[in-house]
Amino acid sequence: MNALTRTAFRATLSRALLSSLFLSAAVPLYAAGLTIAIGSEPTTLDPQQRDDGAERAITDNIFETLLERTPDGVLIPGLAAEMPTQVDALTWEFKLKPDVSFTNGEPFNADAVVTSVLRIINPDYNSEQMAYLGTIESATKVDDLTVHITTKSPDPVLPARMYWMKMVPASYSADPEFGMKPIGTGPYEISGWERGESITLVRNDAYWGDVPEIDDVTYRFVSEPGTRLSGLMAGELDVIRNLYPEFAAAVPKAITAQGLETSTLVLSTANPVMQDPKVRKAMNLAIDRAALAEALFVGNAQPVKGQLVNPKSFGFNTSLPAYSYDPEQAKALIEEAGATGKKITLVGESGRWLKDRELIEAVGSYWSEIGLDVDIRIEEFGEYLNQLFDKNSRPDAIFVTNSDELLDADRPLTAALEFGASYASNVDEEMAAAIQAARSETDVEARAALYDEITQKAYDLDYLAPLLNQEDVYGLSERLNWTPRIDAKLLVKEMSVIE
Amino acid sequence: MGTFILRRSLQGFLVVLGVTIVVFVATRMIGDPAQVMLPLSATDAQRAAFEQQFGLDRPLDAQFISFVGDLMRFDFGESLWQRRAALEVVLEKLPKTLELIGVGLLLATVVGIPLGALAAVRPDGLFDRVVVGLSLTGLSVPQFWLGLLLIMVFAVGLGWVPTFGSGSLAHMILPAITLAVPSMARIMMLVRSSVINELNQQYVRTAKARGMPFGRVLFQHAMRNALVPVLTLVGWEVISAWAGYTVVVETVFAWPGLGFTAMKAINHSDLFLLQAIVFVVAVGIVLVNIGLDVLFKLIDPRIKEA
Repeated sequence: MNALTRTAFRATLSRALLSSLFLSAAVPLYAAGLTIAIGSEPTTLDPQQRDDGAERAITDNIFETLLERTPDGVLIPGLAAEMPTQVDALTWEFKLKPDVSFTNGEPFNADAVVTSVLRIINPDYNSEQMAYLGTIESATKVDDLTVHITTKSPDPVLPARMYWMKMVPASYSADPEFGMKPIGTGPYEISGWERGESITLVRNDAYWGDVPEIDDVTYRFVSEPGTRLSGLMAGELDVIRNLYPEFAAAVPKAITAQGLETSTLVLSTANPVMQDPKVRKAMNLAIDRAALAEALFVGNAQPVKGQLVNPKSFGFNTSLPAYSYDPEQAKALIEEAGATGKKITLVGESGRWLKDRELIEAVGSYWSEIGLDVDIRIEEFGEYLNQLFDKNSRPDAIFVTNSDELLDADRPLTAALEFGASYASNVDEEMAAAIQAARSETDVEARAALYDEITQKAYDLDYLAPLLNQEDVYGLSERLNWTPRIDAKLLVKEMSVIE
Repeated sequence: MGTFILRRSLQGFLVVLGVTIVVFVATRMIGDPAQVMLPLSATDAQRAAFEQQFGLDRPLDAQFISFVGDLMRFDFGESLWQRRAALEVVLEKLPKTLELIGVGLLLATVVGIPLGALAAVRPDGLFDRVVVGLSLTGLSVPQFWLGLLLIMVFAVGLGWVPTFGSGSLAHMILPAITLAVPSMARIMMLVRSSVINELNQQYVRTAKARGMPFGRVLFQHAMRNALVPVLTLVGWEVISAWAGYTVVVETVFAWPGLGFTAMKAINHSDLFLLQAIVFVVAVGIVLVNIGLDVLFKLIDPRIKEA
């Protein structure tokens, strides 16, 4: 008997003793099936209302979308029978899979799709997901298995948006109970929700696709990373996500996958010191991204390839190089620009994204080393957002982490580079026009070419100082077999247990 | 006694009213909910729609008038984060926190008072030194760290109790101990010094001289006189646990109570939920204070109505 099995044996024995004394039936220590930790309790399981990663972790298994992605991020048909075709610049035609039904018996058909679309875009419903779906105008039924979805302006991202929008049943979705007792077409259905404690799903045995291996799955709500880690080590949890890279060695099994998040600094191009492109070039040259990835993320992050766009996203510019690290040249450029000793402000926050404060402070010290006088301001989150969205006065540099859920360059570039749109700090109207043009360019090649130009220009003129593509780190129990996905979805149907 | 309680209640009502108004103003300054709640890439129009839906686009005075009007009907509005009545959320989480405070402070009192009293019997003796040492440790250990340490030892290492969650007595053990430790330490120290003080009084010497058994002297006479400051402290412990000390414990143990919810409400800039939480907490504090005042009068009739 080695130490590990001895510990396990002792734990089992004492647990059995204690459980006979103490445990009421409320939360069994050993649940059949899997137990997954999520950061917070969802406020609803209506999959169209909120923008909440914890809710998605659950509803991704109950509901499905017209299009899906492969684990590697390629769009493929989901509830659609095939990839959509464009009828005209504003209209997309979706053919639906036949013989699919919701777990309450309602058929999945054109009515369900039309209801799902009209429901989520209804202004009175005020869905937080409209940030992803704002271009959609309407949906109409053509026949029972064909739907036309129209957009306000030509929208090449529509297929990716339909990977986001979950399909709800035509009549039951109007029921006030829907958020508590959701009904979808997916491989799992809800079996219980104990407020404050757990949500349990069981396998949908009538599922139209391959029947998954795991019988049931319980979600527990644990916000504190140390507690999640303990739960995994004690054998109470099978999957935890957002594991601190430092803890990877402590868990039974740690796996990483390329993630959606990219950290960046948005640089002002108008402020006194910052308007000189040499200064911005120097700021990029001053940052040792490989060292940041190694020291702060224990290697679980990749230095960006000259752009904010995720390597798996549409619009990634393959010709851009990684930023080079050359503090000597950076120093020379700062001297050449006469910026030595000049003050710049670096604004950031703490606690919203993994290692945010550490990244901001490290970058601040890299910039100090090349002769700038860096004023690092870590703001309370509300105040940080005020500065992030302030159109009139831009900080010299502001930290933000962009998460590219739709795997398309449009959202990150609009947010970080389109002058006047969101939190761009440049004043380049030409670039804004190019980003707008790319947003409605439906020719795939032409659109890719536009993004190549945009990212090239942002690289050449250093409008941004992107830092790292962060990897997602998961901790798994010994028995669980699973390969994480690029889109970070926790699909239980892709998991299995080693006996 | 009746007028005493009435007057205290009236004062309490004014306190709650004052706190509510302060909270209304303060929550309007903690950040723009539309910015916090919506994705970073949301457009200005989407943020404006959100503000309109919850009436946050109105001028502050108009918001305040409707806030006071709703307050009269105990309507705190809809939680921005939970999207249901804020008071409903609070009342749902409340029992869990009361449970935790109840068990935690009972533990602190039941262990703290006798240990403190026994330590006072022979100041600087071995037992006293051990108790004082334990108290200082209990006071110095950060609760957050203590919680994680207990989890590592008793849940991960020994597997005796679950690491987190609530729902059974086994789930309650570690959070209650974590909450109790600092309070227990303070109670032990105070009981010790009060009892030492009482044991030096003339009446104790007299009682001993008359041959009264020491146990009776200690627990019946000295302890009784030491009780008023100890009760004050216990009341203070209840209030401070109630007003925030549970936040840490609830976070570490994923305990679905009010403290944890308050933390989340702040993170989400959920003004309406925060208002409801602070209101309920303020009412609780006022009630505890009134209860203590009544209790003091019962224990020691010499206490004047202040």
